[in-house]
Amino acid sequence: MIAWDASTTRTCSLWCPDWPVITWRGADPSRARSPVAIVERGPDGLTVRAASAEARAAGVSRGLRRREAEARCPGLVIAETDPSAEAVAFEEVARAVEDVTPRFELERPGGLAFPTRGPSRYFGGDVALGRRVVEAVAGIGIGGVRVGIADGGFASALAARRARPDDACVVEPGDSQRFLAGWPVAALGDTELARLLGRLGLRTLGDFGALPEGSVLARFGVDGLRAHRRARGIDEAPPVLTTPPPELTRTHEFDPPVDRIDSATFVAKTMADRLLDELAGRGLACTRVVIEAESEHGETLSRRWRHEGALTPLALATRVHWQLEGWLAATGPTAGLVLLRLAPDEVVPATGRQLRFWGGDPAAAERAARALVRVQAMLGVDAVVRAVPTGGRTPDERVRWMPWGERQAHGDPGAPWPGQVPGPAPARVYAQPIPAELLDEDDRPIVVSGRGMPSASPVLVRSAALEGRITAWAGPWAHDVRWWDRVTRRRRVLWQLVVDDPRGSIVCLVQVEGSAASVTARYD
Amino acid sequence: MWPVAISELPRRDATARAHLRSLAEQARPTVLAGERVLAIRGSLGTLLPGGGIPRGSTVSVDGGVGVTSVGLALAAAATDAEEWAVAVDDETLGGLAALEAGVSAERFVVVRRVPPARWVTVVAALLEGAGVLLATPPRSLRVGDARRLVARARERDAVLVALGRWPAEAAWRLHVDDVEWRGLDADGGGRLESPTLGVRVEGRGVPATGRVAIAG
Repeated sequence: MIAWDASTTRTCSLWCPDWPVITWRGADPSRARSPVAIVERGPDGLTVRAASAEARAAGVSRGLRRREAEARCPGLVIAETDPSAEAVAFEEVARAVEDVTPRFELERPGGLAFPTRGPSRYFGGDVALGRRVVEAVAGIGIGGVRVGIADGGFASALAARRARPDDACVVEPGDSQRFLAGWPVAALGDTELARLLGRLGLRTLGDFGALPEGSVLARFGVDGLRAHRRARGIDEAPPVLTTPPPELTRTHEFDPPVDRIDSATFVAKTMADRLLDELAGRGLACTRVVIEAESEHGETLSRRWRHEGALTPLALATRVHWQLEGWLAATGPTAGLVLLRLAPDEVVPATGRQLRFWGGDPAAAERAARALVRVQAMLGVDAVVRAVPTGGRTPDERVRWMPWGERQAHGDPGAPWPGQVPGPAPARVYAQPIPAELLDEDDRPIVVSGRGMPSASPVLVRSAALEGRITAWAGPWAHDVRWWDRVTRRRRVLWQLVVDDPRGSIVCLVQVEGSAASVTARYD
Repeated sequence: MWPVAISELPRRDATARAHLRSLAEQARPTVLAGERVLAIRGSLGTLLPGGGIPRGSTVSVDGGVGVTSVGLALAAAATDAEEWAVAVDDETLGGLAALEAGVSAERFVVVRRVPPARWVTVVAALLEGAGVLLATPPRSLRVGDARRLVARARERDAVLVALGRWPAEAAWRLHVDDVEWRGLDADGGGRLESPTLGVRVEGRGVPATGRVAIAG
């Protein structure tokens, strides 16, 4: 049994709903009224991450695919998420909260939390503190924020969800367990666990929390126990909260001072590598870190960052980048940077830290890592990716591109996927399928019925990528994608075609969805 | 030791030369030519003198359909040798095809969305770390820049594979002349087989032509 520090810290959480939307609108005043959905690229393609109130009223919700969102809300503006800009914009909120308390943790752009003990007494109680925080943020022109105050970080985050816009929801001390009991288990944020609990008939956090601790540990393991404690309003405080020894702090002095964020981030990545290596050597992982920067004129900016799960070197370097960019965007230092300090603020035993994913020649790995990090600093983290095989039917679905340096995704490429296109894989897969015309003998476009039956055999294909008569073909493979969901369900049919193009014979994959055909891949 | 009397120096006669030769044989660095070569699997390797590509050289691959497959076969040579393969590409490179070509997923990285203006800088930076670097040169690539990249590859012992027109010198130029697809029927049906490519090699050593089967 792991010794757990059961004391909970009374915490105040600030939540800015739809922060990506606020950021996007803040960038250009003319965007204020239009309905917008901020999308992110995930395993299912572009899905909605946040939507404005107008878009939500039209039925656009989080997790929806982009095309479906556009169908539901005519005139919807689609913008891709920009975590860096969101973090930079949130810096302004952080500055406003700094007037209330200097000791807060940034959880993500759009959310921060701090212990209430000092500030609450100073401002005369939790209610007054909550009002104070709302006012501080409203003072910089950002409305709709919600504040929650409760025992423990998890309860206060949920309290913030319960709060009305521009208001605070205060859960009395000792009352957090009752407050939590009514929430559905999905609030734990662990979909898999929530689904399992639902099947076991445990629908609320109260039901789950009533189970004996020993049984939960035996059945669900350490992660389950952590969720169980959260459900009972016991702070998710890390098991060992000894202050990390000061020798773990990494400091880098720049001589001469640097004035480019890129170069500082580059150094930060090396520092983070060393810091996390050292922690790993002691069997620890870092969940909270303080990043401090100092300019030549003595201006300093210190921020505390929390990370769900353990920080990776890349995640840490990204936060340095966000912080510096945010500093620059606000008042900014008046001179170059002379000092950068990374201090682990909260460490936990590393229970499941994965090994580095490369084996082989360590010198080659080191060289490659240096070169790739440099290119990531130049072009952005997402520009450097690697292929992770995963389950799926089309060549596009069967590989997921992960930013290099991120944790390995879990996908099971071995599971059977009926309707998989057989044979070798195409060497060129178009991220944006190229619109095409697929015609039959009488020059009529081929359409696909609701049951996935094509209207005729393909004879001719015409598109920007290739064009010509079809000399041989295989298929069609009919895919009923997401048949269990009425909203996102799609039917598509794939053909493998040998096309007699003017440049020679080309093999390609052509997809027909409804009446729209497109070339999705080319064998090269 | 110093100074040495003239009489003690070896004389330049036949025995002295033979003795020197045997000494030189022993003192030579023990890097064999084979170790300087990245071995290429399969029939593409047999087309190339030495069965592979010497580290530090530049190779161009052009022609029609099949260029990417040849490039991926060369990338697999790097990951076979436990080195990194990097591709500078637009967003269309098929990850599955790379894995089927024998590229190890752990050591294969794709760099996307490289603005043409920074292409040379990015490729130069990547040559520091990659065993094999695949890149499609932009049309605007200048001869001087291309030459600098050739020199950088030589200096860093990396193989630069240009997919498409390469304006500077290259150790070998591979041309994919034709491609043969088999397995599919004219009336719909069958199963696509891995293609065979007609590849022509130009450059150092004997010019060679042959058919290459693509792994898959």
